Amino acid sequence: MMQIRSAAVEYPADPGAGAGTTSPCAAPGTASGDLRSPPGKRWRDADGEHIDVRGLAPPGPLVAIVRLIESVADATPVIVHHDRDPVLLYPELAERGWVAETIAGEAGEVRLKLQKG
Amino acid sequence: MMAAGAFLGGATSRLLPASIPFRFFGAAVAYHLLAWLALLAGAQWFPRFEAGLGWPLAALHLVTLGVLVMTAIGASLQLLPVATRQAVRSTRWPAAIWWLYTPGVAAVALGMGAVLPWLMAVGAAAVVLALLAYAALLAGNLRGARGMPGVVVHGWAAWVCLLVVLATALALALFWLGVPLLDRATALALHVAFAAYGFMGLLALGLSYILVPMFALSAAPDERLAIASCGLAVAALALAALAAFGVAPQALRVFVIAVAGAAVALHLWQMREALRKGMRRELGRSFTLVRVGWTMLACSLVAALGVVLDAPLGGLVTLFGLLLIVGWLLTFLLGILQRILPFLASMHLARGSKRPPTPSSLSAERPLVVHFSCHLAAVAGLALAVVAESPPIAALAAGVGALGAAAFGVFFVTLQRRMRASARPRQTAAPPVA
Repeated sequence: MMQIRSAAVEYPADPGAGAGTTSPCAAPGTASGDLRSPPGKRWRDADGEHIDVRGLAPPGPLVAIVRLIESVADATPVIVHHDRDPVLLYPELAERGWVAETIAGEAGEVRLKLQKG
Repeated sequence: MMAAGAFLGGATSRLLPASIPFRFFGAAVAYHLLAWLALLAGAQWFPRFEAGLGWPLAALHLVTLGVLVMTAIGASLQLLPVATRQAVRSTRWPAAIWWLYTPGVAAVALGMGAVLPWLMAVGAAAVVLALLAYAALLAGNLRGARGMPGVVVHGWAAWVCLLVVLATALALALFWLGVPLLDRATALALHVAFAAYGFMGLLALGLSYILVPMFALSAAPDERLAIASCGLAVAALALAALAAFGVAPQALRVFVIAVAGAAVALHLWQMREALRKGMRRELGRSFTLVRVGWTMLACSLVAALGVVLDAPLGGLVTLFGLLLIVGWLLTFLLGILQRILPFLASMHLARGSKRPPTPSSLSAERPLVVHFSCHLAAVAGLALAVVAESPPIAALAAGVGALGAAAFGVFFVTLQRRMRASARPRQTAAPPVA
């Protein structure tokens, strides 16, 4: 069985929090490989936890999204703002009992709603 | 709303149809078994095998062309567009390459084993044509890549090495037809270095920068270090080419091994960091094989040093080849393959599905347990056969290896059956709401 190390979630300061809109991505993934400050801008909104992983190179988006869903204790949905269909993500979601649906997003954006199945 | 993966033509077209990569993987699994059987047929010559037509050479090429390159084609054509954010360029060409390449490999191996140079030449022609077409596809993928410069640099370096491998393979095939194009020792030295450490080695190292962090769930390694490691490896290969043409061969080769050692050390340090910092710590038997493969890569350089310095150990050339091809490349690839096949299957089944099957539900554990034990026992047995110069031990090891390969085949067939079973209900069900 796979073992996932539990991880504390850190929310970077987000001037757009609560606005319900997407924001440009934060700095790309840490080149040093340090995961203590996971890449991807995150904020909470009425429809769930948001994460913007646009501009991150693989597997940055995968790691950031998995880290976030690992930290969600209740049934809060996770809204992903991406610039491409995250094909590498779906097997990891399936292993954790999460499902993904596309929802309307900005032009050029792929927006997914992730929920515990 | 619609199911993820079903909505973006441009995005989902980063995935080849599942039948394309899986036909390459399926052929690799079949040739894996045939390679061990060919080795069993040539076991009496294996402990001191260095070169020359016969079943040991056929077994070697069933592994290199049949398993390693076959898998590399399927994996690189599938993974590079996904990782470098570009659409798949063609589905017809990869399929055509498979139809040309797969029988070509069979003809090469049969020609070598049965000592039929004409058949080997026919097969080699098909293999060279198929690999030239693959090189064109790979170049297109690398030219269109966005991001991941470390992976792309490794891809281009592997691409250049592939051209050297094809040229030297042609020279060696013509030698057996009585048309010497290049001094045989030079062609052989270039062929071994550029095929094993160059084309296959650099592809394996480059794709590791995608796969290892992906499986360990860690951040991408530092691109500058990845490029530095690749630069050292390319420098080592360039110097090895000079040595093959007779430029200060012994001194230069010792220096080549030192530079290659630095490249390998830098790569392995990055892999170790990726595994150490990853969210997923327990990666199971598959990554035990990967770690064994990495160890054998380092050991192959030590054996190479022994060969260069004429160390007084019988069968050292054979041992070097065993560590390099079976110990490093094959062991590493089988470790990665058993992890990535269920992952890719789940990824493909996620197309148009809200709830795809999990990778673990598509995998089959028992055959992999058998394969794990048999593979490691077979590699150890072959090493013992070389040291003890014992054909019976070589035959026993090849038999155990064949058993392991058959178990791996059961894993693959089970995966295919579960893929089909998972796909069937979705084909008959109503399509997702658009």
